[in-house]
Amino acid sequence: MTRDVFVVVECKDSKPRKASFELLSIGREMASRFSSTLFAVVLGSGLTDAADAVASYAGKTILVDNASLAEYGWDTYGSVLESILKKYEPMVVLGTSSVTGKDLFPRVAARLAAAMVSDAVGVDIAGEGVKIRKPLYGGKVISWLAPKTDSTVIVTFRPNSFAVADAGEKGEIIEETAAVAGNPAMKTLSLERKTSGKVDLQEADFIICGGRGMKAAENFAMLDEIADLMGGRTGASRTVIDSKWRDYEDQIGKSGRTVSPKLYIGCGLSGALHHIMGMDTSKVIVAINKDPNAPIFQYADYGIVDDVFAVLPALKDELKKTREET
Amino acid sequence: MKVLVFMKQVADTEARIIISSDQKSLEVENKYVVNFFDEFAVEEAIRIKEALKDVEITVCAFAPQRAVEALRTTIAMGADRAFLIDSTNRETDDPLIVSRVLAGFARKDGFDVILCGRQAMDDESANVGPMVAEFLGIPHVSQVTKLSIAGGGKAEVESEIEGGMRTSEVSLPALFTCQKGLNEPRVPLITGVMKAMKTQIDVLDPASIEIPFGPIGKEASKITVLSYEAPAGRPSVRIMDGASPEEKVQNLVRALKDEAKVL
Ligand SMILES: Cc1cc2nc3c(=O)[nH]c(=O)nc-3n(C[C@H](O)[C@H](O)[C@H](O)COP(=O)(O)OP(=O)(O)OC[C@H]3O[C@@H](n4cnc5c(N)ncnc54)[C@H](O)[C@@H]3O)c2cc1C
Ligand SMILES: Nc1ncnc2c1ncn2[C@@H]1O[C@H](COP(=O)(O)O)[C@@H](O)[C@H]1O
Repeated sequence: MTRDVFVVVECKDSKPRKASFELLSIGREMASRFSSTLFAVVLGSGLTDAADAVASYAGKTILVDNASLAEYGWDTYGSVLESILKKYEPMVVLGTSSVTGKDLFPRVAARLAAAMVSDAVGVDIAGEGVKIRKPLYGGKVISWLAPKTDSTVIVTFRPNSFAVADAGEKGEIIEETAAVAGNPAMKTLSLERKTSGKVDLQEADFIICGGRGMKAAENFAMLDEIADLMGGRTGASRTVIDSKWRDYEDQIGKSGRTVSPKLYIGCGLSGALHHIMGMDTSKVIVAINKDPNAPIFQYADYGIVDDVFAVLPALKDELKKTREET
Repeated sequence: MKVLVFMKQVADTEARIIISSDQKSLEVENKYVVNFFDEFAVEEAIRIKEALKDVEITVCAFAPQRAVEALRTTIAMGADRAFLIDSTNRETDDPLIVSRVLAGFARKDGFDVILCGRQAMDDESANVGPMVAEFLGIPHVSQVTKLSIAGGGKAEVESEIEGGMRTSEVSLPALFTCQKGLNEPRVPLITGVMKAMKTQIDVLDPASIEIPFGPIGKEASKITVLSYEAPAGRPSVRIMDGASPEEKVQNLVRALKDEAKVL
């Protein structure tokens, strides 16, 4: 086995996702610490530009460009990843804890009997191996795990766990032609894409989240306008989802998505523990609630105690001003 | 048809969790529940049985003795039988080992459909479903929001994928991980609860199961827990001053820009 570090790059609309650049940034530090090489692995179809983009982070970029990889499947992607990992024998494989990552990596880990740590948020690369930081019990406890590095270790991280570093020198791109093996027991009948073109909720740097206090589905338009202005996303509490004001994919919390944006603004939501567990890792938390005793204020950095409907128009104006200044 | 559900008993969200002073172990307040997503799995199994009639539902947990309670809850909902594979003094931090044990049980007991939760609320790993499927050499579909068992040994499933939904046809046997939206889990009726109290729940020693998927001993674990710590708390909130909502917002935006530097 080598001491190389692999990052499995995830693309959206043929472009590497921000989360992958985060992994390339931390992966580069790891590889330099291990005096080994950082490899980026790009799997898909029509991804020459994507490979080019990540090549400025990785020592080497492995590109498998194959029409059979146009749509993701654990069977097809898994077969290619398996053969690449067997050929190159990296010590560490980094991936994103996304819908795709959660589907693919455990399957591959079982196939290779590779150690697997999922949904981590940090890493300590001092010393010989790697120490992984992983929250448990909805963030009530942080655990530090040491996977054995006598065989390949696969670790997936939540988006927004690491800063994206500057690009470096462009590394070599290796085109691999691995065989793609689909599983005959699986057949896709149809795909429905919600091509919102918006940034992914888990990857967004800015999230404005509405709760029951938003009163009606229409009022979320105000939040959407602010989210668009900031290049971010609108989230919602479970009460909002249960009232069918928003889709489940917008739900933040223990039974929805876990997010860690740079800035989270909660509007008219109480801050129930189930909700907090999905956003407590945000860098800065702002709460807007008319009730000064709302639990959300125990978790926020900044608070406004007022009627959300009076605050939001002013907030939009002020944020617009700062946008125009920069 | 045999439907097998893997169920994890997890600490309730409200349960207090104390980190030992040497940071090596956790003490969890005795408030445990059936994992949120596993309730969808049990419910779906019952719906399959209601639709197809000739179905046996087995629930299985690799867990300490206390999980018998959660297994009884699944019987009260409508599962036919439940097994506890005793995890006392066994490795449970390595998902490969947990998955090998569960796959070993499935192989012994037999199944056409295996249902899991999307992820466990305590570790949020989402590992066990795909790993068990891989060991058993069967297909899996993650984050299923609609499942219908069609004729001819096939299932039609709708599942969440990155940025959308996929409808696929899968040959059985297969494993599915259940996502919110799949169904509305029922609350057990009192008759169900009474049946569950009387149901014998078999406790198995993992050593009694033939497991041809790799080692399950503690020494085979690839994961070592080094320590536990409490998350860093936040300083207390700063409530924005101002005579009007506008003024409060101005103060907020200034603080976000100059102090927090996130704008
Ligand atoms: C197993 C389980 C899983 C769960 N998972 C999740 C999850 O993933 N995500 C989640 O969010 N919840 C989850 N919940 C639900 C959670 O416990 C709360 O019920 C929910 O988060 C409350 O939503 P809310 O804050 O929008 O509503 P409420 O608790 O009703 O709060 C509304 C808030 O709005 C304020 N308000 C009202 N009007 C105004 C106004 N005009 N201006 C300013 N403020 C106003 C009120 O003061 C109040 O604080 C879960 C619950 C369970 C049991
Ligand atoms: N020890 C266990 N016993 C039975 N089922 C389990 C166990 N651990 C995990 N599972 C199942 O696998 C799913 C995913 O768990 P996890 O990989 O821990 O997130 C859970 O929702 C359960 O259905």
